[in-house]
Amino acid sequence: MATNTANPLANEFELELDKPLTAYWIAILRVLTGWWFFHAGVTKLIEDGLAFSYGPAYMQQMTGTALGPIPVWMGNNLAWAIAPGVPLFETLIGLALIAGALTRLAALGGVFFMVLFWVGNAGFGHGLVNSDLMGLLLFMTVLVLGAGRYYGLDAIIEKTKLVEQNPKLRYILG
Amino acid sequence: MTDTTNIVDRIAMGLSAALFTLGIVVLGIVELLDGAPFGASPTTNDAGEIVATPLVDPNIRTGLVIAGLLVLALWGLYKVVTPYADEAATRRETAATE
Repeated sequence: MATNTANPLANEFELELDKPLTAYWIAILRVLTGWWFFHAGVTKLIEDGLAFSYGPAYMQQMTGTALGPIPVWMGNNLAWAIAPGVPLFETLIGLALIAGALTRLAALGGVFFMVLFWVGNAGFGHGLVNSDLMGLLLFMTVLVLGAGRYYGLDAIIEKTKLVEQNPKLRYILG
Repeated sequence: MTDTTNIVDRIAMGLSAALFTLGIVVLGIVELLDGAPFGASPTTNDAGEIVATPLVDPNIRTGLVIAGLLVLALWGLYKVVTPYADEAATRRETAATE
């Protein structure tokens, strides 16, 4: 085996995304983040079905945030979409991340959810960096790295003719 | 490693990084220097009355982070609507040979 004298860790521990350690860890990160959202969504579905009335109520009380009147307006006018949408999309985002399919699109949805939770929960007693922001950063990391390519279905989907003919689909896959 | 970024990519990455860092770290240091309490939200007593407020409104700090995320979102849209570098080169070659 050739030795890289400049970087003796280059074989397994080089921080290139397709190296064994990084690929393994990106996949773990993606699956656990997915399970987090899947669990949050599916338990709401079990308990409330598609009538998660706490969703609109939560947004209606989001007054005086950096998002201005947007969440309150959504809570007042889009309750018909939010009540079924929160449990459904949390579940779907989770499933997509676990399977590694449409990973970037799903992670974008996760970022949207986490911005609302971060600002809405406003748990800033110990500073701005809290578990909500960490969740947001996890979804951003999954999105930026194209984590579905590592032990995920997107690795297969991206080799299909459809994606080869429409390479921009990689912006929502990967 | 070949640098495939263009000026728009560099502005998007630089601006979003600056907004994230300003909102979280720089203004966090300002809060630290301002002294206790060190949290980013108003401190209340047992009766729920506000007894101390942070120097910087948390809406300003969260707003800066959200602005950084919006920059990244706009960058993503830009990447979707503009041709790939390879695609653009192929188009130029095709046009030149026609």
